[in-house]
Amino acid sequence: MADLLLHIIIPIAIFLFIAGFTLFAVYAERKIAGFVQDRLGPMETGKYGLIQTIADILKLIQKEFITPSAADKALFLTAPVIIFVAVFIGYSVVPWAPDFLPTNTNTGLFFILAIVSIDAIGILMAGWGSNNKYSLLGAIRAIAQMVSYEIPVGLSLISAIMITQTLNLNEIADLQGIHSPEIIYFMGFWDVTDIGGLFAWHIFQAPHLLVVYIIFFIATLAECNRAPFDIPEAESELIGGFHTEYGGIKFAFLFLAEYAMMFLVSILGVIIFLGGWNTPLPNIGSLRLADWTTGLGWGLFWTVSKSLLIVGIQMWVRWTLPRFRADQLMTLCWKILIPVAFVCMAISGLWRILVIV
Amino acid sequence: MEEILFYAFATLAITAALLVVNIRNTARALFLFFVVLFAMAGLYLFALADFVAITQILVYVGGVLILLIFAFMLSNKELLADLQNTSRKFISLPNWQSALLSLAFLSVMLYAFWGWKQHTPDWIIESQRQGTVIQATDNNIGTLGFKFMTQYVLPFEVISIFLMMALIGAAHLSRKGDSV
Repeated sequence: MADLLLHIIIPIAIFLFIAGFTLFAVYAERKIAGFVQDRLGPMETGKYGLIQTIADILKLIQKEFITPSAADKALFLTAPVIIFVAVFIGYSVVPWAPDFLPTNTNTGLFFILAIVSIDAIGILMAGWGSNNKYSLLGAIRAIAQMVSYEIPVGLSLISAIMITQTLNLNEIADLQGIHSPEIIYFMGFWDVTDIGGLFAWHIFQAPHLLVVYIIFFIATLAECNRAPFDIPEAESELIGGFHTEYGGIKFAFLFLAEYAMMFLVSILGVIIFLGGWNTPLPNIGSLRLADWTTGLGWGLFWTVSKSLLIVGIQMWVRWTLPRFRADQLMTLCWKILIPVAFVCMAISGLWRILVIV
Repeated sequence: MEEILFYAFATLAITAALLVVNIRNTARALFLFFVVLFAMAGLYLFALADFVAITQILVYVGGVLILLIFAFMLSNKELLADLQNTSRKFISLPNWQSALLSLAFLSVMLYAFWGWKQHTPDWIIESQRQGTVIQATDNNIGTLGFKFMTQYVLPFEVISIFLMMALIGAAHLSRKGDSV
């Protein structure tokens, strides 16, 4: 019984976290946009516009339930659910702190990759179900982009996995700190198992993993359909892309899914490349900074704060760079990211055989 | 609990599969196919084949099905209308072909039914005695990797070369210019 209760409480907790994060992130996004464009952002609702997003969500919930008369009703209604659920299930294997995760499975990373690809089906459903040419065009663009960018994401993850030798996200994060069961080398020559901190993170364990992380970051940005990769919902060309016809609570779910996806890819990058719950502070001689800042509470703090930092960078990128043209997008993916990722994968194999013995 | 889930997935798979072949609307049929594949992945989990289940979702749902829907959306309306106006028969094949197909399926099912016994098969009892049973918590992916690189290395390499050939062929066909 207690087990069953836990199975109900955990998803609700994660959902509440996602909802809270979305409220916070939309506000942050507007403020960052304002800062980048040299204006103030929301200021009217509440002090510094703090309750602006709450007002927005109240407006969305109150709105009428509109279904276009020519739409394919069943597909139109299920699409937002599928899109959100696909991202939501991805959270089921993400570790937040040492041994503090919903499901500890050996296939964690592979599972996330597979389940997030369902997102694309939801987008196609939305685009087709709306029966609107802009929606369909947006959906087709979205799929072309997501299917292409899944390859660099997969390759960059494989490069990291060849070093870690496990797909279990809990173990992957464990391999980057002072409690690691294996010896950690900084750049392959300096034993930092006792020092931990920043030096034990995967991006510093091998020099090419830094490049791999950059590839991962760019490709996941495209997976989230965010600027500069937002051609699926390019406002100036396609009105709203695949979610043109959506309004009210259904649009709220699509919005929630987008922000949940942003946080999911950020936390995934943090766990695999940036040390997961491990502290960035190293042990310096008798100053045991890493020992002091490791534990359940600290783990939670580090994971969330690192992920929020990455989300912040995603927003910064969005408001700084202009949108890519469709052909530039494909060129970047197929002619730059994929070949570089392949080279990194080969280096990973050699690194595993020659450097880590 | 597990039994209920198993039957739920099985019912879902069968119902959705029946709907896929019966429904008039091709777009909906394709999206229902997604339900079939997903339910099948759920069934694989009960066979402790978690790797197969996830690969099923990744390859079929994330790849093949999306390509199918993509092709469907890019094809022209007359072709689709033609597809949707086919005869209302259950399987639109000539009689002798459908009879042959159904007989073949029937024989497979009968064969499986006769082979099935109520009690646990001998080889399962044998491996339970020897302690070589796979547990749900085992690292199946690691075992799979070792097997692919040792015992099954030749088939594995043959398949990769085959996939490579398909990839090169696809790239060649989609190339603009004189030689196609």
